[in-house]
Amino acid sequence: MTETTNRSILVVGGGISGLSAAIEAAEAGCQVYLVEKEAYLGGRVARMNKYFPKLCPPNCGLEINFRRIKNNPRVRFFTMAEVVKVSGSPGDFDVTIRVSPRYINEKCTACGKCEEAATSTFPNPFNYGIDLVKSVYLPADFCFPLRYVLNPTIIGTEEAEKIKAACPYNAVDLSMTPKEFDLKVSAIVWATGWRPYYAEKILYYGFGKNPDVITNVMMERYASPDGPTRGQIVRPSDGKPVEKVAFIQCAGSRDENHLPYCSGICCLASLKQATYVLDQNPEARVFIYYIDIRALGRYEDFFVKVQSDPRVTLIKGKAGEIQRLSSGKSVVQAEDQINGIITKEEFDLVVLATGMVPSTVDGELPVAVARDSNGFLLDSDGTGIIAAGCVKQPVDVATSVQDATAAALRALQFTVRR
Amino acid sequence: MEPKYVSREMRDYIIEMGAETITWCMQCGLCTALCPWRLVPGETSEKFNIRRMLRLGQMGMEGFEDETVLFACSTCGMCVKNCPRGVKIIDNVRAMRASIVGGGGVPANLRPILGSAHANGNPWAGPREKRTVWQEGLDVPRFSPDTEYFLFVCCHSCYDPRSTKIAKSIVKLLKASGISFGVIGEEESCCGESMRKLGDEELFQKLAQSNIELFNKKGVKKIITTSPHCYWVFTEEYPTLGGEWEVIHYTQLLVKLLEEGKLKFSKEISKRKIAYHDPCYLGRHSDIYDEPRNLLASIPGVELIELDRCRDLSLCCAGGGGRIWAEVPMGERFGELRIVDAAEKNAQMLTTACPYCMNMLTDACKSLNKQESLEITELSEVLAEALE
Ligand SMILES: Cc1cc2nc3c(=O)[nH]c(=O)nc-3n(C[C@H](O)[C@H](O)[C@H](O)COP(=O)(O)OP(=O)(O)OC[C@H]3O[C@@H](n4cnc5c(N)ncnc54)[C@H](O)[C@@H]3O)c2cc1C
Repeated sequence: MTETTNRSILVVGGGISGLSAAIEAAEAGCQVYLVEKEAYLGGRVARMNKYFPKLCPPNCGLEINFRRIKNNPRVRFFTMAEVVKVSGSPGDFDVTIRVSPRYINEKCTACGKCEEAATSTFPNPFNYGIDLVKSVYLPADFCFPLRYVLNPTIIGTEEAEKIKAACPYNAVDLSMTPKEFDLKVSAIVWATGWRPYYAEKILYYGFGKNPDVITNVMMERYASPDGPTRGQIVRPSDGKPVEKVAFIQCAGSRDENHLPYCSGICCLASLKQATYVLDQNPEARVFIYYIDIRALGRYEDFFVKVQSDPRVTLIKGKAGEIQRLSSGKSVVQAEDQINGIITKEEFDLVVLATGMVPSTVDGELPVAVARDSNGFLLDSDGTGIIAAGCVKQPVDVATSVQDATAAALRALQFTVRR
Repeated sequence: MEPKYVSREMRDYIIEMGAETITWCMQCGLCTALCPWRLVPGETSEKFNIRRMLRLGQMGMEGFEDETVLFACSTCGMCVKNCPRGVKIIDNVRAMRASIVGGGGVPANLRPILGSAHANGNPWAGPREKRTVWQEGLDVPRFSPDTEYFLFVCCHSCYDPRSTKIAKSIVKLLKASGISFGVIGEEESCCGESMRKLGDEELFQKLAQSNIELFNKKGVKKIITTSPHCYWVFTEEYPTLGGEWEVIHYTQLLVKLLEEGKLKFSKEISKRKIAYHDPCYLGRHSDIYDEPRNLLASIPGVELIELDRCRDLSLCCAGGGGRIWAEVPMGERFGELRIVDAAEKNAQMLTTACPYCMNMLTDACKSLNKQESLEITELSEVLAEALE
């Protein structure tokens, strides 16, 4: 399949930034191709419980975007797809896309019969491996497109055949193979977002060894109604509800041994997650260990609100080693610099506020875009390749959307001959 | 509360003494929270807050000169290794100590130590001519211009009766391998690592100069050190003073000899379950973690036990930074935590690769009355036992 049009753009990454850029450009009359690596659109936002400052669930915001995409014939999106090659010049790029086999075609109604037939399980990538999924699974309850995916490692097994036989709609196609095709586009918006910092690298926090030390992105999954515990925030070690929770800010951030920059949103994410804990258990207590609380602009109000809750204790001091006691509690120690007292508190659960690492931090890119020393894409005027959202800088959703809109405009400029 | 005053002069003086990075600190407090003093109770633990001490230094404010505070740091490097701003905290501690020691403010308990190092070239009150007593009956080769390696034995292992066994074991191992090595002897002086950490800059310069002149005069090219402290100071601090040699810690050399087939540990030894304690100056300060483990693992029948805090996170024995001379009440010694950890893991032996660590762990084992069930050794002793 070869598309030829000189009024089209490619958007890489179907997170909130990519979706926004695609929709804005399409609604301005441009043909848009959206390429997403995962089996669903929405990116990291789809994996949140609620988002600050309004604390609404991400689905409402994403739903609107999905509807705009569905209703707009000018957007074509590809999931499980990646860009393999880009050649040409601004205004006239040739792009090769590769789509990996999903093994489930568009006849799928998400009835779930295949899943019942599946026997083997795998760590659930959507939930950061907290729980397991079957070898054929729906990426998430509200995923878009709402269609199953089959784990490629079971191809050729008896299990795969059983799954195929179980589908009443003939939606399982085990003969699918990777497909490549070319597109011609005028500009490319690169919006491949971020991943969480690998918390196990911060040795003294014991993430990966102490089961009750989790990361902020995992906390979003625990708190989500469609998460591994159906929204119950529990201690991973024994599944018991939590009474006392610690949030450790700058877990790896503002640290030249890890991430030298501030991700800008982790303070707000922890303040938000403190409300998850307290809403679920009004008797609970939350401690937040910080170097500085960074809640810029209007977000100051949100900070003040959470800060004034008597159940929330803020401790100014970066936390040291987290020790696990034989009782199963985790001890966090830090100096409270406000009064000079060295504190030691026992917790049920410790949440590491890890920062955002650009998805472009390592590996080759199929496009020639300059990166800064931390892997974020730099603005590259005139190249026809425009970065948007968290791949450019660590920001919140609102800023991502604004940045994506600006990126869409700049992409559109390449579709008109000057 | 009494008012406190900021003194630019004091601050500049401290910076001049070597605390160049003191102003990089953003006061996050990770150093205080990761400090091994947090793991024990007691007066020092309560008083010594490294973040606060550095803050006082940053502003040239009074308060850090209290001996319990100023001399508490064992220079384990846990804070330095993890500092988000790369502040060279140990250098800053050293500079702050130097600002007081340089003006004559040496704590009473340290006076004889520094005095002995001045007079005898070792801090252990041993006469210079007794430096080689441990060699009696061993036929240790003399270093000459055609000797390949100069074996530099730590003062502790020259004078401390328990520690001399380390020197003897290393000689036995080197002899068994057939490599060319030799000692210089009485003219050698203490490497000065701990003296410098205590803030006696003048003494350190004197010791270092004397060693550099001696080693160069004798034609030394390659040095084997028995202690990680000597190894560290020879590799990190001597080069800028004119002492540039190829320096190797004995564990590194033994691994090489083992790989080349020049050494073989074929004899089973009396203990099987052996825990290894990473010395700060070998591990965190010099990034040598695997060599000692590989050596242990090569002994038939040995089961290597890892302590809870190991490798980068290893817990200090409390013997660095001049703390080997500190009087610490029972119950406040870091070493005791190591003993408890090793005992809980049913180790029969706790071994290490540093004479100071061996010394501190031996004391801790005694104070907990665990000598019967847990033997404390230095790795060279274990390896020498495993030689055919
Ligand atoms: C713990 C936490 C909580 C947060 N909570 C909030 C909040 O409450 N409110 C708020 O405003 N912000 C919040 N944020 C920030 C928010 O997550 C980001 O602003 C948002 O995800 C940015 O969207 P994006 O599209 O730029 O990146 P992403 O969400 O990462 O989307 C990128 C997309 O690109 C895809 N992709 C990656 N590589 C490729 C490739 N090579 N080819 C094709 N596709 C690719 C990914 O699969 C993904 O779908 C939070 C962040 C954290 C860490």
